[in-house]
Formats: sequence, C-alpha cells, structure tokens
Amino acid sequence: MNNVVNKAYKLLRKSEQVTDEQKTDQSKRSFIGGLVGASGLAVAPGVMLYQIASAKPADQAVTNKVRWGMLVNVNQCTEDCDACVTACNDEHGLWPEEGSSTDSQWIRKLTVKDPSTQNTKSFPVMCQHCEHPPCVDVCPTGASFKREDGIVLVNMHTCIGCRYCMMACPYKARSFVHEVLEDQLPSTPRGKGCVDSCNMCVHKVDAGDNTTACAQACEKDGHQAIVFGDLNDPQSEISKRLKDFGGTQIRADLGLNTGVRYQGL
Amino acid sequence: MIGVKNINILRRVFVGLIIVAISTVVIADGSKVPPPKGEQCVEDPVWMRTNHFETVLHQRDETVLRGIRTEKHSLKNCIDCHITPNKDGEYARYSNSEEHFCASCHSYAAVSIDCFQCHADRPESAVREAIKQHTANGINPHADMKSSANELILKSSLLSAQ
Ligand code: SF4
Ligand code: SF4
Repeated sequence: MNNVVNKAYKLLRKSEQVTDEQKTDQSKRSFIGGLVGASGLAVAPGVMLYQIASAKPADQAVTNKVRWGMLVNVNQCTEDCDACVTACNDEHGLWPEEGSSTDSQWIRKLTVKDPSTQNTKSFPVMCQHCEHPPCVDVCPTGASFKREDGIVLVNMHTCIGCRYCMMACPYKARSFVHEVLEDQLPSTPRGKGCVDSCNMCVHKVDAGDNTTACAQACEKDGHQAIVFGDLNDPQSEISKRLKDFGGTQIRADLGLNTGVRYQGL
Repeated sequence: MIGVKNINILRRVFVGLIIVAISTVVIADGSKVPPPKGEQCVEDPVWMRTNHFETVLHQRDETVLRGIRTEKHSLKNCIDCHITPNKDGEYARYSNSEEHFCASCHSYAAVSIDCFQCHADRPESAVREAIKQHTANGINPHADMKSSANELILKSSLLSAQ
C-alpha cells in the first residue's frame, strides 16, 4: 500500500461509483436514522436528549471525550473532482497563486496506481491529525500542538517559522507562508513567517457545525466520500462505518494513529 | 548621565502622559474614526484603553489552545463592533491611521503591534467583498503587492525605528 501511495500516476479510468458495500451502509444508516432522528430524541415533551457530538458551550474548553476524525471513502472519490480542495481554499482564504509551488496547500488530491494490478485511486490528503504527531515532537517552541479533541494545530502566536514540523510530517501536510498575505478571513488568521496546515475547520467544529468544508463540498457534489465525526463515539456515523468496513491509515507502519482514515485504499 | 532609575521614572511619566493623551484623542471632536456599532463597550472604555491588550492576549490563548470562543473579549468581536463603514460606505484598513479605530490610537501612541498582519482588520463581510472584487478583476487576493498590508509593515518598522 505504501508503494501505491508514494507513486502517483495519472488516473486512466474513473473509480467505480457506488459499491454494494456502501449501498448496504446507506440503508443501515437510514434505518438507524429513523429510530434516533438526526439531531435529538424526545424523552418527554420539551425535554430533548441531544447527541454527544452537538455544539459545546462557547465558554467551555474542548475535552478528550471526543476525538475528531475524518473517513475518506476512496471508492466514491473521482479523479476529475477537486471540490474539497476548492472548498478548503475558500473556507480559509488560502487562494494559492496559479503555478506557485510554495503557496499553502492544506489539502491536495492524490492519484495513485498499483503497478501490479494497474488499479488507480484518487483521494484527498490533508493533515492526518495524528494521535502521536511528529510535528509536535520536533517543535522547539510548542507552537505545533494537539488539542484535547485530537485536532493538530499551529499556534501562530508562538511559531517562529523554523519549519522543523514540515520536515517531520510524513504526509507533507504543512506549508510555510512565504509572502505577505492580504484579505485573510477573520476565522482563519494566518500570515508570513508561520507554518500552517489543515485545522479540521476548527472554527466550524467549535461552532458545532459537526462537519468540515471539504466534507460539506464533497457531499454537495454528490460524492459523499468524506465523513467527519467523533471517533470516540461508537454511535457516530464515522465510528459505525469504521466498525463495519474498517479504515486504512496511510503509513500505518509509523504508528501515529491518524485521525483521518481511508476506506477502500 | 541619567541613571536607570531615572529612566524608569521618566518612562512611567511618559506612559502616563500617553495614556492621558490617548483618552483625550479618542474623546476629542473631529475624529475621523466612524462610530462603533454598539452602544456600550464590553468593559469600561477607560479601563479598556489601557488594558485591552491583556484581555485580547488572554483570550487568544484560551481560543487557540482550548477552543474557548466566548465573544466578549475576542478580537473578532472588537473588530465587528468598532470597524464600521465611513460616510462613503468604505471600511478603513489598518494602514489608515486616521480612520481605523485600532490604528488611530496605535499610531498616536507609537505602538507597533502586528495583529493585523494575520488577523482581519475589518468584519468578514467586508473582507469577502474585497476578495470578490479582487477575483473579479482577475487578481489573486494575496498577490496585491501594493497592498495596505505591505504599507502597514513599512510604516510599523519606521515607527519602531524611531
Ligand atoms: S499529518 Fe503531519 S502535520 Fe498533521 S499531525 Fe501528523 S505530523 Fe502533524
Ligand atoms: S515552524 Fe513553527 S510550528 Fe513548526 S516546528 Fe517551527 S516553531 Fe514549531
């Protein structure tokens, strides 16, 4: 599998659309959905039991009761689609310059081919939000850190731009901002001299959106290849999918226990 | 020779004077800073003039490290309330030390602070509008080299060199 990931070739044919596996999964979900309801369950008139994954109050710190993650269903991702990348750029105001090799890329599409079977797959790769993140280990200032809920971030107030973390990350997930930026969005402050990477749409997560820009865009485009959710909650869709179908970690041999998993890789 | 102690006393007197001056400047008539949106600041304005950086500094760690996103002391909340359009419907940028609320005081007090090299200096709607215009003109929003951000950094380094 590592060879597959490391050697990116042009996709020769599109991935299959929906497999039987996913069809079963869909029907199972709607069955459970019918029982529990999307957002809450009424136990008595006016009393609602909300799902654990709903918004936390703004004045409370995040806890390790939840661990946010994403599951990418590779079989539903097509090579010609880059809706997730565009959505990420738009959500965070990244606006990479055409042809620039250094502008920040928080998420990129990768196409890989297994030389032995000629099977090609296309899927997005972003920060994998490792449980044991090498980028955090090497950071001399503690700027690269993991939040209690598993989201790995750069604290740009203390980042000195040494770029050790970029070297340490096995997924090349981080970028360094070389130029003065303009028109940053209020929810994603970033600037010259700091490293940045996918922040799992932390502002959306904290607001209780329970999704990320890439997952939303993928769903809107009808692929539904990205599922965001709480890996610690056995009732969350992501956990159920992982339980039923499993999920691969890219470079699982490194033992980083990534928060981003791939189904069908 | 002025001793270290004297310098410290002088410094305190100087800071005191600046604070008094700031209070007067903000209150003074003829300010080109458009009025804030809200009726009342989240804290006593006099206290805020001298202590706002403490609250913002505290809140920044709470938000980044622990995901606490209360509005009261958030920079975003300050900006949303204080940065309002002028008569022509335009939002002043941080490089405009006459009209931008934060810049008007920072430049008066010779404070070179770089919040706005990374943080938005106007509300999200205004930033989105600017992005839309850049994109419509075929310009990358980050690639405007005569940008006010550059101007601002130039000005800030001049300030700190003084
Ligand atoms: S994928 Fe890279 S940047 Fe993300 S947590 Fe792991 S080591 Fe850090
Ligand atoms: S670039 Fe910043 S976040 Fe990365 S290791 Fe250096 S100080 Fe830490």
